[in-house]
Amino acid sequence: MNAAGMAASLTRDWGVDQPWLLLLLALALLPFAATAFVRRGIASTLLVPDDALSKAVSLGLRLAGSVAIATIVLGLAGLHQREQAIVRQGTGAHLVLLLDRSSSMDNSFADRAPSGDQEAKSVVAKRLLVDFIGRRPRDRIAVSAFSTSPMPILPLTDHHDVVRAAINAIDRPGLAFTDVGRGLALALDSFADDANESSRAILLVSDGAALIDRRVQEALRDAVIRTPVHLYWLFLRSRGSKGIFDIPPPGEDTPQANPERHLHLFLQSLGVPYEAFEATSPQAVERAIAEIDRQETRPLTYVERVPRRDFAHAAFAAAAVAIGLLLAAKLGERALTRAMPAAPAGAGHTGAAPMRRAA
Amino acid sequence: MRAPPGTLRDWRFWLLAMAFLTLIAALLLPRLTLTREARDLLVVIDVTGSMNVRDYEVDGVPAARLAVAKRAARDLLAALPCQSRLGLGIFTERRSFLLFEPAEVCENYAAIDGALEGLDWRMAWEGDSHVARGVHAALAIAASLPADLVFLTDGQEAPPLAGGALPRFEGEPGKVAGVLMGVGSPNPSPIPKFDADGRETGFYAEQDVPQEDRSGPPPADAPSRAGWDPRNAPWGGEAATGTEHLGSLREDHLRSLAAQTGLGFAVLRDPGALAAVVNANTRARPVELRVDIAAIPAALALLCLTLLFTAGALVGRRPERLPA
Repeated sequence: MNAAGMAASLTRDWGVDQPWLLLLLALALLPFAATAFVRRGIASTLLVPDDALSKAVSLGLRLAGSVAIATIVLGLAGLHQREQAIVRQGTGAHLVLLLDRSSSMDNSFADRAPSGDQEAKSVVAKRLLVDFIGRRPRDRIAVSAFSTSPMPILPLTDHHDVVRAAINAIDRPGLAFTDVGRGLALALDSFADDANESSRAILLVSDGAALIDRRVQEALRDAVIRTPVHLYWLFLRSRGSKGIFDIPPPGEDTPQANPERHLHLFLQSLGVPYEAFEATSPQAVERAIAEIDRQETRPLTYVERVPRRDFAHAAFAAAAVAIGLLLAAKLGERALTRAMPAAPAGAGHTGAAPMRRAA
Repeated sequence: MRAPPGTLRDWRFWLLAMAFLTLIAALLLPRLTLTREARDLLVVIDVTGSMNVRDYEVDGVPAARLAVAKRAARDLLAALPCQSRLGLGIFTERRSFLLFEPAEVCENYAAIDGALEGLDWRMAWEGDSHVARGVHAALAIAASLPADLVFLTDGQEAPPLAGGALPRFEGEPGKVAGVLMGVGSPNPSPIPKFDADGRETGFYAEQDVPQEDRSGPPPADAPSRAGWDPRNAPWGGEAATGTEHLGSLREDHLRSLAAQTGLGFAVLRDPGALAAVVNANTRARPVELRVDIAAIPAALALLCLTLLFTAGALVGRRPERLPA
């Protein structure tokens, strides 16, 4: 690897918070201009033998000073290993939750205002969807809603907190209509920037359907050819409404009279893996979501984040070790004068070296 | 190792020891707990047609109000300290519609930023723009979350308020703190018109929009109008005229709405200025923050070492005299 490549990989993995503090690294040159030891005069350089060990210790002590200063500066500048993204293999999916926010979702499965033990469909959907994403920590999830108009809510994200916040908003009062077609087009659009081919899925949660404009139908057919997806439709069927699997008597089987059944037929005709779940009670919704959870476990390359690690304390510890060395050497320093009580007996190399470094 | 007395009298030794001790202190010091001001915000952005008016200028290019409002909200998101939470809603017709509840801003930054970027006038589900009712609805949502409200709108009511009177506010003024941010310029500009596929087809003309709200009882001055007839023409005999087809910032209307609901009011001139306005008008929630203060003793250690080697280089030039 050349120098530029090494620098690039260093700055990719490592960073500092205050780069301008790195200018202080110039101070690390100071130990080569001076030492922590008293300079001593000697009569002649000839008195100093040419000792390789002393030279090495001398250089080592200068390096220790230099390292101490450099590591403190690095620590002050906030040296850290950047957040790393590690690519792993697992199971999961890239999922778009396409949520119906029409006002009929605010009614219970009996199609009445929720009361007592009857929950609104949106409340049931909210509770079970929060459970659902809680069991699937590796999914990347986007959220879109539709009612009178389609609304992109969140782009694909790994952070499930904000997905939960978006699901929590679905039991707020809804809007008037149910424009499923444009909603689906929007959900397919969420995959526009997503390179992962294999495990895309759209989970459509709605309690009704409406006619899909012929032009929107064509746009949808184009879109699923461009971005193949798995489609799941969780149909929250209210009491008295028409089911998606019931075949009405001949002559009544029109899209206007049975929009749900015809949406089902349309989705079947798209030519992508598609499954519809008709749920008439909270328990049925739970079973359907468990089934989707079971099916959507395809191999997925996902990115696991390793959080940033701070190395300031490690840098300070290294500096403390280097200064400790200097301090030990300083304590072993002996003068050349006779006034010294005894020869530097007992002081090993640490003691011997500073004397030599007087030269 | 027993230090000789000469070493203990040497300032170099004491500087080294000092550097060593401060570094040890840096390693052992506990983290300091500080409090910081986080905020819980609900940002509601007006996505009605009048927000498409291009009366801002960004880098010398005309910019739509909605684009500037989005830019301001994204700058606000970037300026919020961690542990703040931000939720998003849109306003059209007479309601504010919650897209997601407040979520922590640092962890979910990319997703919230993407959601703000994705806001579009096409999300509007109706052409009407009852701003006052929308603000009232947003206040109700904010109170239930709970969060403080940041409402970005140009204040243009469509159709105009009947008789110019604000609808009654049923909440408690001042219960939800927040700010009403006026977006746009006070000078009237044409409002772009779009077809069903979202292509721009021109601008709204005078007769394209209701110039007067003709539902409910007619105003008091109606009998003085030309062609007035109590049964056949209670609003006068002529079509209403006016400038409702031109978009302008309705500052007076927003000021009275802010006064009615106890919100602050400011005009958005520069997208970056929103954070300061929000800080002044919303409630702070103190959050604890663990701060590493090891840098202070470490900086002292660096100072000691620098002194040691600089002074060593300056005074040590002249060697000690040889013993006689």
